[in-house]
Amino acid sequence: MSKQGNGKFKYFVGINSLAEIATPEDRVCVLNILGNESKGVTPTSHSYSGGNVVFGTSPGRKGEVLETPIGNIPVYNNVREGMEDGHKFNVGVVYLPPAAVRDGVFELIRVNSDLKKIVILTEKVSVRDSREIRALAQQRNVDVFGANCLGVADSWNHVRIGGALGGDKPEESLRKGSVAIFSNSGNFTTTMATYLVASGWGTTTSVSSGKDLYIHFAPAEFAHAFDNDARSKAAVMYVEPGGYYERDLTFTKPVIACVVGRWKAKLTRAVGHAGAMSGSGDSAEAKENWFKDILGVKEIYSPENPVVSWKGAVVTNISHIPEALTAVMKLHGVNPDFAPEGDLTLKPWFGDNQGLAMPKSLDIPLVEPFQPYKDQIAELTKQVGAIYPRESMKDRSGSSIMDAKTQVTRVSGVSILDTARYPLESNFCLALLHRHNDDNDNALFNVGIAADINLHGDVMSVVADAARAAGNAPNAVIAAACALVGPGRVKGACDAADVLIDLFGHSGLVKGDEAGFDISALKPSSEQLAKLTGKKADAKAQAMLAGIKARGAKSVFADFLSKLDGHPTADAVLAAIATSVCWSALMRKKISRNTARNLSWNMRLFSAIIGASVDGAQHKADSFCGVSNADLINKWSSTEIGYLALLGETPTPEKLFPFQVLLGLIISNGVGTISAQGCKGAVSADGPESPERVQINKAMMGFLTHTGFAHGGNGYEGIQFLVEQFGETGLKDAGDPKHGLDLVAMGTKFAQVFGAEKKARKGVGDGVRNIPGVNHPVFKNQLINKDPREVYLSGLFKERGEINVFHDFYSALVQALYDNGVTANVFCVNIDAVIAALLLKLLWPRYRSGTFSESALEMAAFTAFLYGRMVGCAGEIDDHTNRGRNMDTRTPASQCSFVS
Amino acid sequence: MNVTGMLWGAKLLKIVDFPTSEVLGPEASEQEIKALIDRCGEVFVKPIFRGGVGKKGKAGLLGRAKNLKTALAEKERLYFATHIHGNQTAKAQGVTFEGAVPAEHEVYVSITDSTKFRAPTLTITHMGGMDIEELSKEQIAEIPFDPLTGLKSFVITNALSDLKAPREIISPLAQNLPKLWDLFHHYGMTTLELNPIRMSQKRPGTLTPVACDFKCGFDRDDPRMKRLNLPAELFAVDYSDFEQEINQLRTYQGQSDVSVINPNGTILAPTFGGGANSLVTEFLGDDAIISSDFGGNPPYEKMREVMRICLKHWLKQTNVLFIIGGKANNTDIFVTFRAMADALREYFSEHGPTPLYLVIGRGGPNLSRGLLAFKDVADSLGIPYRIFAFDSAMTDVVRYAQEADKWMKAGGRDLLAKKLGCAA
Repeated sequence: MSKQGNGKFKYFVGINSLAEIATPEDRVCVLNILGNESKGVTPTSHSYSGGNVVFGTSPGRKGEVLETPIGNIPVYNNVREGMEDGHKFNVGVVYLPPAAVRDGVFELIRVNSDLKKIVILTEKVSVRDSREIRALAQQRNVDVFGANCLGVADSWNHVRIGGALGGDKPEESLRKGSVAIFSNSGNFTTTMATYLVASGWGTTTSVSSGKDLYIHFAPAEFAHAFDNDARSKAAVMYVEPGGYYERDLTFTKPVIACVVGRWKAKLTRAVGHAGAMSGSGDSAEAKENWFKDILGVKEIYSPENPVVSWKGAVVTNISHIPEALTAVMKLHGVNPDFAPEGDLTLKPWFGDNQGLAMPKSLDIPLVEPFQPYKDQIAELTKQVGAIYPRESMKDRSGSSIMDAKTQVTRVSGVSILDTARYPLESNFCLALLHRHNDDNDNALFNVGIAADINLHGDVMSVVADAARAAGNAPNAVIAAACALVGPGRVKGACDAADVLIDLFGHSGLVKGDEAGFDISALKPSSEQLAKLTGKKADAKAQAMLAGIKARGAKSVFADFLSKLDGHPTADAVLAAIATSVCWSALMRKKISRNTARNLSWNMRLFSAIIGASVDGAQHKADSFCGVSNADLINKWSSTEIGYLALLGETPTPEKLFPFQVLLGLIISNGVGTISAQGCKGAVSADGPESPERVQINKAMMGFLTHTGFAHGGNGYEGIQFLVEQFGETGLKDAGDPKHGLDLVAMGTKFAQVFGAEKKARKGVGDGVRNIPGVNHPVFKNQLINKDPREVYLSGLFKERGEINVFHDFYSALVQALYDNGVTANVFCVNIDAVIAALLLKLLWPRYRSGTFSESALEMAAFTAFLYGRMVGCAGEIDDHTNRGRNMDTRTPASQCSFVS
Repeated sequence: MNVTGMLWGAKLLKIVDFPTSEVLGPEASEQEIKALIDRCGEVFVKPIFRGGVGKKGKAGLLGRAKNLKTALAEKERLYFATHIHGNQTAKAQGVTFEGAVPAEHEVYVSITDSTKFRAPTLTITHMGGMDIEELSKEQIAEIPFDPLTGLKSFVITNALSDLKAPREIISPLAQNLPKLWDLFHHYGMTTLELNPIRMSQKRPGTLTPVACDFKCGFDRDDPRMKRLNLPAELFAVDYSDFEQEINQLRTYQGQSDVSVINPNGTILAPTFGGGANSLVTEFLGDDAIISSDFGGNPPYEKMREVMRICLKHWLKQTNVLFIIGGKANNTDIFVTFRAMADALREYFSEHGPTPLYLVIGRGGPNLSRGLLAFKDVADSLGIPYRIFAFDSAMTDVVRYAQEADKWMKAGGRDLLAKKLGCAA
C-alpha cells in the first residue's frame, strides 16, 4: 500500500479530476495489440483520439503493424523494445489473456517509470492476480482502471483509451455535454450515454469500472475526481450488488444512482460480472439504501413516483435515468445540453404477427429506423443472398470439417459416408449450395455439364493433349485445360446470371422450378436483353433447351429466356440452369450472390475437368467417347459421363453405383489436406475481399497442382497391391460371388510371406513396409480394429447384395495377419482399401483383357481421385472467396524457420 | 465453488502443515470410529454437503457421540439429512466423524479479499466457535496486509495484542497462521475460514492451534486451484447438465456464463453484457429460464454452439425467445445474430417447428445486417416477432417480452401451434 495518498485518501490516487482521465496528451502503449479484441477496437480508439497509441506489443511479432484509418501503429515484442525505439507513453492498455495480465501490468510498471495509468480490458482475471496488481500499482503510484472493463472516454476531448466505449462509432453516443458516467457495466456505459443523448444530455468523462472483486478505480475515486471537474455538472452511476465501494460516498454535485441486481440475491454464482455477488451487507437493497441516504431521498424514483432531491435520485431502471436527471437538474436551474434527439419509447423496426390476431399491447406498429440505419437497411434489403463476415480462413473452412475422432469428413454438414449415396452432380451442388439437389435440379445441371463436355475444336483439348504428350500426370493435364476457362471465357454466362438475379431478385420467386410463376411483369432493359440473347439462333442454346425439355425438367429462368425477343445464347441458357438450381438457396440467404453468379463458371470447370481428362481423339464433332452429343445432353447424368470418360464404356446401373460411391467418398478429407490448401492459397492470393477478381479456374488449378503421386495418385498403391495378389488367379469378374477363390488361403499365404519378410528385415534393422489399405493411426489398439468408414460402406454394399472380391480379400487378410502372429491384434481395413477395391473392380475386366496397362490403371486411379476431389475443392474455393481475407493463408515470418 | 467441512479441509490444511482435528469419512469402519472415540473421548458427527452450506449447527445437523452406538445412530440420522438454507436446499451425502479437541480457547480466523481495503484481509478473534456476526466490533480485528509480502507473524501478533487476547495463544497462532496464506494465495482461493481453531494442549505447557472446521471458496477464474487435483464431483452439485455443457465453451474471450434460474420458466433470454444480465434477470424474475451473459464478442462457431445447447435444453418449453442486450461496444451483432438465427433454423429443421414468439432488443456494430439476418429467419420459420433497436428503452423491451409470454400462456401458444402445424 502506498504511503502517498493525495490528501483525501489513505492510499494513492493520482487522478484529481475527471478531466485528467483521458486527455489529448495521453500517449498509449497497448499490450497484445494484435489480439482479436484489440485488433477490432484499437484502430477506432486510435483514430477517434487523433492518434494516441504510440506502439503496441505482441511477442514474436516485432516489425508488424496494426493498420488504422489514420496510419499504422508499430508493434514490438515487448515494452522495452518499443521504448528503446524512442517511444514514450504514460498509459498502458492491457488486452492480454487473463493468465498473462498480471505479468503484463508488472512489465508496464517496471519498465516505464513515466507510467501513470493502466486500463485493463481483460475479463476473468483471477482475484489473486488482481490483488497483486493493486498492491504493485499502489507501490508505484499508478492508477488502474478495470479489470473486466471497457476503458475510459472523454467526449470533450474526443479521447478514448482502452476499450470500445461508444462502439464502432464513438461520436454517436459520446456527445459533449455536462454529465459524467461511472458504470459497473461496459455495455451500459454506452447504453446510458445513448439514453442521455435521447433526452438532450451529453457527457464529459465516461468510466467503465468493471465489476470484478477488485475495482481499482472505484466510486470513491470517481466521486473525488467528479467533484474537481468543472465540466461535469452531474453524474450518473450504474452499480450492482457486491462490495462496499459505494457505502460512504460524498458528493457536492447531483448524482443519479442506478442500482440494479435485487434479484441477483437469489443466484448462487456470478454471471458475467464476477464481483456482482453480494454477501450479507452489500446487496442491491443495501446499496439502494446507501444511496438514498447519500442523496437524501426516501424512495426509488420512477415516472409514477418521481422522487428526487437537490442531491439527486436513486433509480433501479436505466431507462429512468434521463428523466430523473432532467428533474434533478431542473431544481438546479440547469437545462439539458442540447435538444432531445429521439425518445426511448418502444419502436419496433421489424415485426410480423404471422396473420395471428394479437392484443394491442403486442401489435405495435413498426417504425422506420432512424438514420443512418434506415438507408443501410434499405440498401441491405436490396441485396440478394447471404453476406458473410470476412475473417482469416487459414486452416479454417465453412465448407468442410473432419471429425478427428471418427476421421469422417463432413461437407456442408453432410458426412462423406452419406455423400457416397448421392450422384456426383448432386454432391457438386451440395458443396456449393449447401444442400443436395432434387431430381429437377439434377436434370438441369446435367444438361449444363453435358453441353460443355465435348471439347471438339476447342483449343482446350489441344492444350490438354499437348500436356499429356509431354508426359504429365492427369492433374497437370487437366490444370492446363482449366487455365483456359478464365474469366473472359465465362464472362457471358456470369453476366447473364447477374441479369437474371437482378430481374428476379425481388420478384417473389422462391424456387427455380416454381410452377405457374408469372413472368409477364419482368421486363429486361435493352442492355439486359443484350446479355441474354443474340441476333442469330444459337445451336448449342437450342440443344440445351431441347435437353431440358427432353428430360422433363422445369426452370422458370429457361422459360423466361424462351419467351424473350431474340435468340437466347448458350451462355444465357447455362446461366438460366445455374440460377434455377441455386435459386432457393440464394433466396434463403444460404449462399452469396457471388456463389450464384459463379455457379456457371464452376459448371464449365466441371465439364472441362472431365472433358480434358479424355484424349482429344475421343472428342468428335458429334460425339464424345462414342456417345452422341444429343444423347449426352438429353439423357446422361454427370456421373455417367464421368464413368464414360474414365472407363470408356456406357455404365450399367450395377457398375455406376460403386463408381458413384467411390467419388462420393473422396470429395473431401477436410481443410487440412494439401489439395484444399492449394486451392485456398490460390484464392487468398487473388484477394477474396474483392471477390469479383478471384479466378475460380486458377484456384481449381491450385487444387490440381496440389495433388500428385503422393496425394491422389497414391490410391494406386492399393490397386498395385491387389494386382499383385490377384494377377495370377485368373479372376474375371470381381463382382461374381462364384469367383472360386479361397481368400482365406490367399490371405494366409501372404501373411506368412510377409511375416517372414518382416522378421528378416527387423533382424537387420530395416523398416517394415506397410501394407496399403491396412491399419490406421487412429483406429488401432483394440483387439479387433475397424475403420468406421469401411464398416459403413461394407454395410451399404451388403444391403445392395454387391460382392467385391478385393474388399473381401482385405477382410480375410487382416484376420490372417493376426492368426499368423504377424500383427498384435486384428488391424483394420482402412478407407484406402475400400477405394482401391472399388476402383479395381471397375477396371479389372479391361486390365484382364489387356486393354488397360498397369500404367493406365495408375492414371485412371489418379483421375478418379481428381473427379471426386474437385467437388470438395469447389466448395473450399467458394467458401474462401466468400469469407476469406486477402492473403490470409500466409504464415507469419516469426513462425517460419530456417533449416541448414 | 466452495468446500466446507473437515473431510476435505483436513487434506487441504495438511498441504501447509496446519494441525487439524482427526477426521474419518463416511466409509469409516466401526472399529475405526470406536478407535477415534477412544483416542479423543468424543466425536462429532457432521453431514457432508457439497458446496458451501452454512448454519448446520443451528439447524440441529450436528451429532455428538461418546460411544459407538450413539455415533452410529447419529450417522443414520444425518447420512441423508436435508438442510434448507436461505433459498437453497441441500441434501447430505454421508457423514464425517471428527475427533473432539479439548481446549480452553477457540479462535476464529479468516482470510478474504476486502472491498473496503482492496487488499487481502485477516479477520481474527479469540472469541471463536460462534457466528462472527454475533460479536461486537471491538472483539474482532480486521487487518489488511500486503499481498506481495503475504501474511506475516507480526500482523497476527499486533492484531491479537490489540484484541487483548490471552498471552498464551499469541505465539502458537503467530507461528501457524501465516501458513494459511500459502494455501489461500497459491491455490486460487478467495476466502478461507477456520472456525473454530481450538487451542489444544497437545504437549504440556504448549498450545497448538487445531482447525476443527473449515470453509473455503475458490476463484473459478484461477487455474491454480487445479494444482490441488480436487475431484470434479466435489463441485458437481453446482452445475446442471445444461450449465456444464455451456461451461465447456467458457473462455475468456466471448463469455458464456449461464445460470439456470427457473427450469420451469417460459422465457428463454440469451443476454449480452453483465449489465443487461442484471437488468433482465431483475425484470424477468421467475419467468426467465436462464440468466446469461454471452457478450464479449463471441465468434460465430461458439455463439452457434452456445445457442444450440440453449435451444436443445429449453426451446420446447419456451414461449418467448428473447434476445436482449444494450448497445454493444465490441460484440459484432451480425456475427452473433447470424449464429443464433442459424441455430434456431437448424433446431426447427431438425426437430420441427415449435410455437415461439421472438423478441429482440439490441444495438451495436453491424446492427442493420444482424437484425435483418434474424428477421429473415423469423420470416422463413413463420413465427411472430418484434425486433427493437437501441432507440427503445431496454426495460420496455423486457416488458414487451413479458406481454408476449402472457399472450402465449393465454391461448396464443395454441393458436400459433395450429398455424405452424405442430403440438402446442
